Amino acid sequence: MLDVRIEKLEKAVCFMKKLVSLLLIFLPLLSGCQLRALNPNSERASDQTFLIWFSFGLMMIVLSVVFFLFVRFVSKYKQTEMNKNDIPRDVKGNKKLEITWTTLSMLLLVILAVPTVAITMESSPELAETSLENTSALHINVTARQYSWSFQYQNGKTSENQLILPKDKEIVLHLKSDDVIHSFWVPELSGKQDVLPGKEIILEFKADQVGTFLGKCAEFCGVNHTNMTFETKVITQNKYAEWVLE
Amino acid sequence: MIFDFWGSHVTVPSDIISAWILTIILAPIVLFWISKKKKWPLVREYMITTNHRKIGTMYILFGVLFFIRGGIDALLIRTQLAVPENDFWVFQNDKYNELFSTHGTVMIFFVAMPLLIGLMNVVVPLQIGARDLAFPYLNAVSFWMFLAGALVFNLSFFMNSAPNAGWTAYAPLSTDTYTPSAGNDYYIFGIQISGLGTIFTAINMIVTIFRHRAPGMKLTIMPLFSWSTLITSFLILVAFPVLSIALFLLMFDRMFGTGFFHGGVGSPIYWQHLFWIFGHPEVYIIALPAFGIFSEVISTFSRKRIFGYPAMVLSLALIGFMGFMVWSHHMFTVGLGPLANTFFAITTMLIAVPTGIKIFNWLFTMKGGVISFTTPMLFALGFIPTFVMGGVTGVMLSAAPADFQFHDTYFVVAHLHYVIIGATILGVFAGIYYWYPKMTGKQLNEKLGKWHFWIFIIGFHMTFLPMHFAGLQGMPRRVYTYQLGEGLFEFNLISTIGAFLMGSSMLFLALNLYKTHKHSPNVGNDPWDGRTLEWTVSSPSPEQPFKKMPYVSELDAYWYAKLENEDLSEANDTRPAPVSIKTIQPVILSGLLFAMSISFIYQWVWLMIITGLAVLSIFPIRSLTSRNEYVEKRVKHE
Amino acid sequence: MSNEKSSEHYNDKRLGFFIYLIVESVMFATLFATYFVFTSEQSTPSPTDVFEAKSVIISSFVLVLSSATLLISEKGLSNKSPRLIVLGLVITFLLGLGFVGIEIREFFTYINEGYTLTTNVFLSSFYVLVGLHAAHVLFGTIWMILLFYQLMANIPFSLYVEKQRIFHYYWHFVDLIWVCIVIFVYKPYLF
Ligand code: HEM
Ligand SMILES: [Cu+2]
Ligand SMILES: [Cu+2]
Repeated sequence: MLDVRIEKLEKAVCFMKKLVSLLLIFLPLLSGCQLRALNPNSERASDQTFLIWFSFGLMMIVLSVVFFLFVRFVSKYKQTEMNKNDIPRDVKGNKKLEITWTTLSMLLLVILAVPTVAITMESSPELAETSLENTSALHINVTARQYSWSFQYQNGKTSENQLILPKDKEIVLHLKSDDVIHSFWVPELSGKQDVLPGKEIILEFKADQVGTFLGKCAEFCGVNHTNMTFETKVITQNKYAEWVLE
Repeated sequence: MIFDFWGSHVTVPSDIISAWILTIILAPIVLFWISKKKKWPLVREYMITTNHRKIGTMYILFGVLFFIRGGIDALLIRTQLAVPENDFWVFQNDKYNELFSTHGTVMIFFVAMPLLIGLMNVVVPLQIGARDLAFPYLNAVSFWMFLAGALVFNLSFFMNSAPNAGWTAYAPLSTDTYTPSAGNDYYIFGIQISGLGTIFTAINMIVTIFRHRAPGMKLTIMPLFSWSTLITSFLILVAFPVLSIALFLLMFDRMFGTGFFHGGVGSPIYWQHLFWIFGHPEVYIIALPAFGIFSEVISTFSRKRIFGYPAMVLSLALIGFMGFMVWSHHMFTVGLGPLANTFFAITTMLIAVPTGIKIFNWLFTMKGGVISFTTPMLFALGFIPTFVMGGVTGVMLSAAPADFQFHDTYFVVAHLHYVIIGATILGVFAGIYYWYPKMTGKQLNEKLGKWHFWIFIIGFHMTFLPMHFAGLQGMPRRVYTYQLGEGLFEFNLISTIGAFLMGSSMLFLALNLYKTHKHSPNVGNDPWDGRTLEWTVSSPSPEQPFKKMPYVSELDAYWYAKLENEDLSEANDTRPAPVSIKTIQPVILSGLLFAMSISFIYQWVWLMIITGLAVLSIFPIRSLTSRNEYVEKRVKHE
Repeated sequence: MSNEKSSEHYNDKRLGFFIYLIVESVMFATLFATYFVFTSEQSTPSPTDVFEAKSVIISSFVLVLSSATLLISEKGLSNKSPRLIVLGLVITFLLGLGFVGIEIREFFTYINEGYTLTTNVFLSSFYVLVGLHAAHVLFGTIWMILLFYQLMANIPFSLYVEKQRIFHYYWHFVDLIWVCIVIFVYKPYLF
């Protein structure tokens, strides 16, 4: 017959404790903000980081409610020597409760949806055919191929696996691929944008600090995908003007 | 290693040689063991059976076998990634690509699917009072097609050409220009054939549930696992044909020179659309049945009926329906533009609502109950926090601009394992422990079961929690290494240790199986004090269940009858049982499909023609032979 | 009693087969979508260059007629008249075969003009869609041969009726797909 033991509750609680402590171990890391995707150096990346934190915060509310109820119910209604022959009262449901959590979760999502929609509408890259020409910005042609990147600047100068950018200047990258799909990713400067064969895509951002950032191909593209990295250097506008004429 | 074949040099890597050697050693041992134990009649019996329980058991058996295979892939992946700039064995570059491609494909198509379909096979007919599935023969065909597909897929590794374009096979990488070896052809045929089998299963389940329920069991009082099966089957009906055509077109690209998905003339993005129109519903296809299992388990072991039954059914249906409107959230970074991204971000957030409703209903089912911590219940309890963690990262991913950072990183790998392992795998374990008596007549050892659970769940969180941070720290998925200075080492090391912990938990399952079958006696009909019809028949379930057909008048009717100390009232039932027979045809069909796949993969035209005609000839053969049994059956009835 | 039971089985089969036809519809829908994605007047060669009205009209006529002639057979089934059944089936069979012949001829003409499967993506999606449909018709004609055989062999008439009814659903479905092909594939560029 039903073989049940009581101490199981302790185990459940202990498991939750472990989980929480695991989380706690990592939280300092998080709040230290050293994680690259949470360390923005452009407005575009800041928007993304904001959304990450914002959604994380909202979701933490959900998570804590669920965890709280979970631990409470599991500990309160565990089977014990006393209640082991009880037949609990049947509850079919509770309309009010059900409506409450449905509306509350909708509300939470609306709160998340508002900034999401705003930022999405503003910062989703588009095909070159459909996007407006931004003449005041600095245009750079980016070509990805198995397994390297090349960057061509406005005066025709090119560089391989190294992208040099001036600080505080609107940058417009024209992304194209020679072969398969790749993805342009410098966490601190911009999110990912896939680089497609046969289509040109526009990615815009403005770096607001000087520094060197590791860029990676983020779309699996074949044998040597792992090593398809590039270095991104953001330098001052003066230095850039010099460099580009070198 | 280099071999000389008629003058041409063939290089065979050492992992493949080891696999061959292992197989050559193991195969005779297994065969010998079967002979020694005089199990050949049993093997034969299962090969010609059309009984739902036996077929379900085979699904589960092979699902577990492929779980081991996919698990070994996972451990090899984790070993290669344990430390920075690692050079573990051969698993760098293309070998690594093959590893994660087979890992993902095997886990989704040959582990999650068959394990769940196996449980559906065993349980659904018993739960709704059917004597078998509506089409037992077709059911056998489905199973053997699944196995044929799985064998085709697994053969690729032994032929040194495992698929290497990821389980998503994104074009143009997956076209013959960029991956000319046979690997992705194996992928196409392996999935195509098993996928068709899955479609037949879905048809079978729908007809069974619509037409073979016990008298009185209206859809509105049908148990939730059966409901989830019904809805999943509808999802399969729409999703799998799309995959089927996508693979069909990819096959034309790879074999017959068309350019549907090529970069220049065709559209690589079109592949992504087709794949995810299938792929997103697919993740619900493997999640919803698990939800059904948890509903049964949580209700049984809280000794309470499920809280908010109508909402549970409705949310299943809503999740299923909305599952078809969110596919482009996998394509936020493709450049579909602001409008598309916004639309799919919103729909994706919306789908969290019915999921949340389910979570609360499970919690409130426990509230006020008497919760016993049996092994199945532990897995169900482990599911709730785990799945919710996967769910909240899912909502985070749905914010499109945030996904520009998350996409294709280890954050996504963490998310997807939290939801898939959290729901499907924990669900399957819960289901196996729970319904094991119905499959074999024995109850698994509780103590070992609990060890299995705790080590698995701890290992799981240790493996996947750090991956979130690795992703945010800039680690893309599908990379075989990282540099020391990137700040990724700690995360990966913890992950790897966790993965081995998780792997070792499976040893407890193995030990449990061994011990249970060695020592335990058979249990009675109702070892868990269950609530639904499957617990009214003997364990293991008989070939002809429900000799006396029960009349079902409410949800959990069996439970309430027990409370009143009564038997379920007997119905006057005129429905004939489905025609179950013994036939070897499904096995032959599966063998032919296997050979046909090989002929296409290696373009042996003569074999294509022979096997093609042979496969076609199965139709008339079946039609003509079925006639005979059918008539005989009828004569018997008269 | 036994009749009731067998009709229960038949109803199972019929429902199962209808669901199977849904599966087929999704497959064809995906192929239609593929055709829409890859076909435009701009492609070279374009649909207007390739398509010939004559063969489309003849083949449509033949196939639609075959759905009508199958009704003769249907009548035979309900009247228990083997003569009508055979008559309807034979005519349908010949029309089906005729359709396949016309399709093959159409494909050959195109190929001879240099419009092959691999010429461009429009043609690829055209051949895959229309070719798969033609394969369905061919399968249907083979099915009819099997039905002839079963009608001759001595199986219970009620059982035979069930078998042929299922075939009717298939044939009408394939016909319906052809109507969609005419409307969506040919018509925008021909008429
Ligand atoms: C045994 C525990 C498991 C471990 C340690 C594990 C580990 C991993 C890792 C590290 C990756 C990422 C590989 C890469 O991107 O380079 C991965 C990918 C994946 N895993 Fe698992 N996994 C496990 C179980 C599962 C299960 C049970 C499923 C599904 C039922 C699953 C489905 C997938 C899928 C679909 C992918 C994506 C493959 C791709 O990128 O093409 N995994 N897994
Ligand atoms: Cu890449
Ligand atoms: Cu999805």
